[in-house]
Amino acid sequence: MTEPYLFFHGITKSFGDTSVVAPFFDLKIEHNEFVVFLGPSGCGKTTLMRMAGGLETPTTGQILLNGELIGPPDRRRGMVFQSYSSFPWLTLAGNVAYGMRYRHDLSAEEKKKRCDHYLDMVGLGDFADFYPNRVSGGMRQRVAIARTLAAGSEVLLMDEPFGALDAQRREKLQAELRLIHRRDAKTVIFVTHDVEEAVFLADRIIVFSRRPARMLADLDVLSVLGPDRPISLRDEERFFRLRTEVLQMVRAAAGDDE
Amino acid sequence: MSEQTATMDIGAVQIEMPEKSGTTRSSYGFRAALPQRIEIAIAVGCSILLLLAWEVSVRMGWLNSLFFPPPSVVLSRLWQMTAHEDLLYHAGVSTLRVWVAFGLSVALAVPIGIVMSGYRVVGAALEPVIDFIRYLPVPALVPLSIIWLGVGEETKIFLLWLGTFFQLVLLVADDAGRTPNEYIEIAYTVGAKPRQILADVCFRSMLPNMFDSFRITLGWCWTYLIIAEIVAADSGLGFVIWTARRYMHTADVMAGVVAIGIIGLVTDQILRRLHKRLFRYL
Repeated sequence: MTEPYLFFHGITKSFGDTSVVAPFFDLKIEHNEFVVFLGPSGCGKTTLMRMAGGLETPTTGQILLNGELIGPPDRRRGMVFQSYSSFPWLTLAGNVAYGMRYRHDLSAEEKKKRCDHYLDMVGLGDFADFYPNRVSGGMRQRVAIARTLAAGSEVLLMDEPFGALDAQRREKLQAELRLIHRRDAKTVIFVTHDVEEAVFLADRIIVFSRRPARMLADLDVLSVLGPDRPISLRDEERFFRLRTEVLQMVRAAAGDDE
Repeated sequence: MSEQTATMDIGAVQIEMPEKSGTTRSSYGFRAALPQRIEIAIAVGCSILLLLAWEVSVRMGWLNSLFFPPPSVVLSRLWQMTAHEDLLYHAGVSTLRVWVAFGLSVALAVPIGIVMSGYRVVGAALEPVIDFIRYLPVPALVPLSIIWLGVGEETKIFLLWLGTFFQLVLLVADDAGRTPNEYIEIAYTVGAKPRQILADVCFRSMLPNMFDSFRITLGWCWTYLIIAEIVAADSGLGFVIWTARRYMHTADVMAGVVAIGIIGLVTDQILRRLHKRLFRYL
């Protein structure tokens, strides 16, 4: 049997007396798999994702990347946040280039080339010299994605990155993100509480309980919806059915206090 | 039927009309938006009205001109002192003192403030001391500073520095602390080291707020200037004001005060413009 690419092994997490991740969390993620962590707000799914980034340490257990114990954050695992996802004092090109700022293995020309390449990939080639305050929230999120790709991250950790966007932009960006994932394959952990978003994006959905987080279900979406996710997928019967199924599961998980 | 609804629509529109004209009136109401032109007109008008009332009160003999020289006299004295006496020289000396003291405050407060916010150990060690000194009134420290430093330039600079450094260092620490965690984590996940994060992210991100902190603190420097210059000075605006007081030249006292106000206003406006220019990305 081959080693899993990203392996959460026997994880527990508590802050003081509050248990955030119930003992013991196990998860194996394949190389280039698009995994969505779905669960109610504040359930501990973000904490788990941050552990993979090295931004939190588990109370017990360990996380292995490619068979190696993960250490403090480095550029192999890039973060895309919901807000403050790009630096306002840098242009869009500057923000993408920032991903490579501490790389000494690339020449200045290579950096420039990569910067242009990833800006084009996320459709921002024409906005390279704009500052983030002059572009839409969706564009800012695309810049953040381009930055992590330019940095050379192998794992993308996305913390509700489209949560602050309006519905139309969100749909568009979700489709684009799937395209980017197809073109420039990466392992993605995407955290959200939005069921529709989860179903649309995921190869695989991990459904979490309320805090402390426990895995309630591990759903294989890829075999139902396939790898290509055009926006029109949203109008298809199989999409509805899966969404309803997941929605009921999440409702049950959220309990009856709301 | 369709005709009827059409007329009803028109009716509805007509009914709305008077309500709309009613809303324009409420720009004087509670929390209502005031058009900028009216706002400026009111601001300027009221100030002029106040000056006029003062002028008239003195001319009518309701106020003693020895104690309340009218604005016209104060302004003409200000002009004379600028053009024919050495007010400009004294203003220059005062400005120099303020900027030297302020420069010292900034040079010390920025690194210390950033380190205080970045390393809680340092913050915990320094905060009580700084908080204590911050609340000491500067005038209360005049005798001590004369004992320590005599009555020369050092004392004046020291007093101005005292009044600003301890405030500024806490403001800077606060500005540094307001860097969003996301920025720092972004930097970590593209492979930055703490030192690089400090220089490339924290410092850059706090810059606009820190610039504002500088502007505010510079204003305080001017408020301590008079206290510093009353301590046996032979130059500076504080000296001018204090000397004029001795001879009961009330108009000169007021002219000196107005001069400080003008310098403060102009500096503040320049710094605001500069802020807008430097941080156009905001």
